[in-house]
Amino acid sequence: MRFFCILVFISFQLTAQSPRLLKKATKLIEKTYAVDDIQLEYKEFQTNSVVGDFYKIFDSDLLLGYAFIGTAPSKTDTFEYLVVFDSSLIIKKVNVLVYREDYGGEIGSKRWLKQFVGKARSTELTVGKNIAAISGATISVYSMTNAVNQLLNEMNQFENI
Amino acid sequence: MKNIPTYIFLLASFVYGQDQYNSASTQLNNLLSTEKGLSIGGYGEITYNNIEGSSTPAEIDVQRLVMLFAYKFDDRTSFVTEIEYEHVKEVYVEQAFINYAVADGVNLRGGLMLVPMGIINEYHEPTTFNGVERPSLDSKIVPTTWREMGIGISGRINNASIRYQAFLMNGFLSYGESRKLRGSDGLRKGRQKGAESVGSDANFAGRIEYYGLPKLKLGVSYYAGNTQTTAPEMSNTQIGLSMFGLDYRYINGRLSSRGQFISASLKDTEAYNLAGNKDLGSAMGGYYIEGAYNLLPLDSRQKLDLFLRYEDFNTHQKTAGALIANDAFHRNETTFGLSYHLASGAVFKADYQSKGTAVEGSDAIGQFNIGLGVFF
Repeated sequence: MRFFCILVFISFQLTAQSPRLLKKATKLIEKTYAVDDIQLEYKEFQTNSVVGDFYKIFDSDLLLGYAFIGTAPSKTDTFEYLVVFDSSLIIKKVNVLVYREDYGGEIGSKRWLKQFVGKARSTELTVGKNIAAISGATISVYSMTNAVNQLLNEMNQFENI
Repeated sequence: MKNIPTYIFLLASFVYGQDQYNSASTQLNNLLSTEKGLSIGGYGEITYNNIEGSSTPAEIDVQRLVMLFAYKFDDRTSFVTEIEYEHVKEVYVEQAFINYAVADGVNLRGGLMLVPMGIINEYHEPTTFNGVERPSLDSKIVPTTWREMGIGISGRINNASIRYQAFLMNGFLSYGESRKLRGSDGLRKGRQKGAESVGSDANFAGRIEYYGLPKLKLGVSYYAGNTQTTAPEMSNTQIGLSMFGLDYRYINGRLSSRGQFISASLKDTEAYNLAGNKDLGSAMGGYYIEGAYNLLPLDSRQKLDLFLRYEDFNTHQKTAGALIANDAFHRNETTFGLSYHLASGAVFKADYQSKGTAVEGSDAIGQFNIGLGVFF
């Protein structure tokens, strides 16, 4: 029973992204859209595979797109990442917000993350095929690819966006 | 003992280790590791070496078993240890340092750390390289696993795709009652490994990795300083060392390749050799180049890499004074074989090595190796 309570408690903590993380994500989204003052609106998102929060991105009343702030495992720790979608759910930007561990941090490279841009819900990402492997960062490369894959897959719940 | 969190962590590491990308375990891992706590890992190598035509029997060895314990105090502060059992009965501490994240991509680090030189010294887990044995260049020239006490900074600049490390470290012990360094394996016998180590002169170790080109990773390493001595008043107990390394790692689909070049120059070896009747070279270095091809499809959970590696290295590239270079120290090795990754983290390896020297008329000696490796 105590075990269960702790799990619930921790998972509750996770759904509320830290202000620092949200601030960083907001800045990146503003840069991506070249808009000065965007608003993020939390959106309910039922998911079994990815861990994180889903947001609608608004510029005043105009819906620009969507953002997902997620957590995924590296070898011995976790990292936070941001996926920005345009209004038709095509990936516009992927960024590693916080990477804690030393090994595997190469996935933060802009060149590598660019590979996700333009991918849509129907795309199946495979390391070595349409996503390049990185020597010495295997686990994080698979983890990031896996997370984006699962996220794209979960997006199918939005029938009429 | 913080019973429950620890227990959950143990469970998480276990579940996570079994199936890295199972979503439930991923989630459990996610839920837990944002909290402070303990993480457990390890790696091990079990090897069989048989030298061809030799009258000595094969060696079958639990070469290393390393337990990795890390404790995260908070988001900024963590402590990392690796405790190693070598050949079952020798115990070493391979790493023990505190990492403090000052800012995104900037860490202060202090304690017993790996010297950043070349590929293998830092990435030495058996699932990360081909061949039952590590490349010999990374034993005779870069004395892996090379670790010393030190302090410094490490981190990465993602906008520039650079990972950097810069440490002040303790160096090789060249003299402690007797002279330790010699021609056949250069600096290897001088490693202090943080065990009641002698510190007379600070050394510098630095490395920059560039990962901005797709599929390719480039590394530059530099190390410099005087060796350590228990008798600094004696002029011929120390040598000045500088070592430079270049390396690359490339992966493109099923093809992978890596290579490394190391060059070291040693000062004052003439006086050192004369005083201690030693044969330490004044320059040493070499290179290796390796190619591998995965026979299994990319979306398979397993990997079967066929590889070929060629190495050429010399601990007597130059000798000072009257010392004549020993051709037996100029070695070349060809290794080919396979690495069968049963799962991500468990590998079966088999290879054949042909080891030759520059001695005129000498024959290469063959060696057959089998190994089991794990990393979790």
